[in-house]
Amino acid sequence: MSATPSIRYHCQCIGDPQPPPPHLPSSSAWFHPLHSLFFCEECDAVRCNRCVSVEVSGYYCPNCLFEVPSASVRAEKNRCARNCFMCPHCRNTLSVVPSDPPDDGRSHAPINTTGEPPFYLYCNFCRWDSGEVGITLEKPTGLATQLQHLEDAASDSLEFERLKEHFEPIIRASSLSSSQSAAPPVHMHTNSIAAAASAALARDIPGISKFSRRGKDKSKNKDEFPEYKARLDVSTASVRGSAGGKVDVDHMRALETIGQVASLEQRWDNSWTTSLKASDLQPLRLPLHAKRSKRCPQCTHILIKPEQKAQSVRFKIKLVAANYLPSITVSLPHLDQLAARPSDAMKRSTSGRPEAEIPTGLHPGRSYPFHLTFTNPLYDPIQVRLAAQRMHVTGGDGTEKDRSKRPPYAVSLPSSAFAVAAFAEEWEYEDEDEDMYGLDDDYSLATRATRDEHKPKTKAVGVIEKRANLTTVGGEIVIGKDAHGPVKFNMMVSYAYRSDDGLQDEGGAAKAKAPETKTFSFYTVIDLGLIMQKPAPPTELDF
Amino acid sequence: MSSTPIYYSKAEYIETDTGNKVSRRATISGPQNIILGGKTIICTGAIIRGDLRRVGPGHAVVISLGRYCLIGEGCVLRPPYKTYRGTFNYYPMKVGDHVHIGANSVVEAAAIGNHVEIGKNCVIGKFTMIKDCAKIADNTVIPPNTVIPALSSFSGSPGHFVEYLPESTQELVESSTKRYYNLFQPLDR
Repeated sequence: MSATPSIRYHCQCIGDPQPPPPHLPSSSAWFHPLHSLFFCEECDAVRCNRCVSVEVSGYYCPNCLFEVPSASVRAEKNRCARNCFMCPHCRNTLSVVPSDPPDDGRSHAPINTTGEPPFYLYCNFCRWDSGEVGITLEKPTGLATQLQHLEDAASDSLEFERLKEHFEPIIRASSLSSSQSAAPPVHMHTNSIAAAASAALARDIPGISKFSRRGKDKSKNKDEFPEYKARLDVSTASVRGSAGGKVDVDHMRALETIGQVASLEQRWDNSWTTSLKASDLQPLRLPLHAKRSKRCPQCTHILIKPEQKAQSVRFKIKLVAANYLPSITVSLPHLDQLAARPSDAMKRSTSGRPEAEIPTGLHPGRSYPFHLTFTNPLYDPIQVRLAAQRMHVTGGDGTEKDRSKRPPYAVSLPSSAFAVAAFAEEWEYEDEDEDMYGLDDDYSLATRATRDEHKPKTKAVGVIEKRANLTTVGGEIVIGKDAHGPVKFNMMVSYAYRSDDGLQDEGGAAKAKAPETKTFSFYTVIDLGLIMQKPAPPTELDF
Repeated sequence: MSSTPIYYSKAEYIETDTGNKVSRRATISGPQNIILGGKTIICTGAIIRGDLRRVGPGHAVVISLGRYCLIGEGCVLRPPYKTYRGTFNYYPMKVGDHVHIGANSVVEAAAIGNHVEIGKNCVIGKFTMIKDCAKIADNTVIPPNTVIPALSSFSGSPGHFVEYLPESTQELVESSTKRYYNLFQPLDR
């Protein structure tokens, strides 16, 4: 992303409320685009995907879109138990074809009702078919059940059954303690897999979950485990042409292309004893996907709760930050001017401007105006105040030498608060909105044209434009003579809004010093792009 | 996020009553079998094969597009076909609202939901089903008969699931398609 100015919002993730310095590479983890953030009303705080706790609210197969009841997910081993298989080579979804595919060669469309048995699984992408590994089907439906015996006979599932058998008595013995661990602790950082796994673990093998909790009775229980003897010894695995040994060596000697060896990715989804040969790979049932609900890590209130239906994109609860915080867009007017010149039929409008040959970047030793457009999502007007965080945040005590090291650019932002008008319900200006846009474009084009004539001279800091629930303010950045690197700075945004969100009938009139106002502050990082390197860069090699 | 208009030559595009903007340099075959929902843009060099219709008498909708769609430059929209019980036939393609298809993509999907983004240079195989709010990255090849679930992002060749999209995807796509339409301005020379 060369010079497109961007803005990201800070999520403190229940940590330091101060954002990290913007230029560190590690800082990017703390800043997110607004649309990916959530907002907890209870805690009055921004939450991000890194800090929310995630729960599975439903499973579905990504191919047949069947919603799998969570009760049967475990029995079906998290994979589709209907007709969905994955190509072992390219992971595309397989389709069923009858035994005599039409010989004209060009049409391999699904012909899944006519043909004759046996049927094959066929990959539309890489043309693999299940005949290569000797899998044929009697009928074109209920594939998973037809192939169940293969799966059950696999050594890994036998081993797993054995493991379960082995632990069965222990489970029964410690069922008492399992009731204690019925409610798994809510972790701060957890994803869907971890959540599902911890719940499943706590339920299945309480003995193990007890160990992991480093409980007081650790030493006592340890000895109760009888020793588990694996069904398949590692040393014998090689005989089956799987885990190293002579068979594999022989196979590798005869290799002709690298494609004959199954890649890690292809073997990944299988168990631990898979053949090295790509030709031995077997189709796998498609792993299920999950719909997830998200909770605030602190107060455990639900932030996201999807609708039950798998393919619905609606949510029962959706507390996203975009509905609470003003959205901000950054633009650099001098870049917009470049882009605004209609490129194709461009008969250089107002040619001789000095800015005509500005490349997309910032030059050292110059100053640039930039625009911040605030959009208010609230039904009440807000008062916004901006503050740039000092560049030398490292020490806290702004040391002089620290500042001299920093890329010397200075940011000026409007210092006084400015208002952003309330968001009107969409139906109130849906039609008008579209007209407005049309008008507005003419208007803004005209103004932009006139404004641009004077732009480089006029002071650009302050409120520039107000319309609907948008307010555009200008700021300016002065770039030092030997500055280099990206221009990034942290900006604190505070906005005051009417706190009592009882049903006020209308907000416009009562706006000035309304009942009580509350202020919410958040940090953003603004990236204005790279400073263009001078042909001969100075010998400074700090940081 | 830029607010600068995207200009087109006024002479090149036809604007319909419902706000569709169709390039004269796009190839629209069988226009009587194509439905445009309104405010849909069909760019230069796009090919829409409304003529590949199901055999049989009467009127048949071959391709229907929703509102605020964009068919990028050089895109090909072609209804899927197959031989079923020995007879070759084309099947209709339905595209929802707020669907953007990037330049030079070839689409033979059976159904595309609402708020779907398809990148540049993609190949969307026959009978693909793309559910709401899905996203296909640039240069992706989706093999025939693939199903792309809602709110998921696909990329690669063959296209694979990459990630779940944020919960606010619908609003994002809706505002971006509306903005694109409003910025798509004629330039009178």
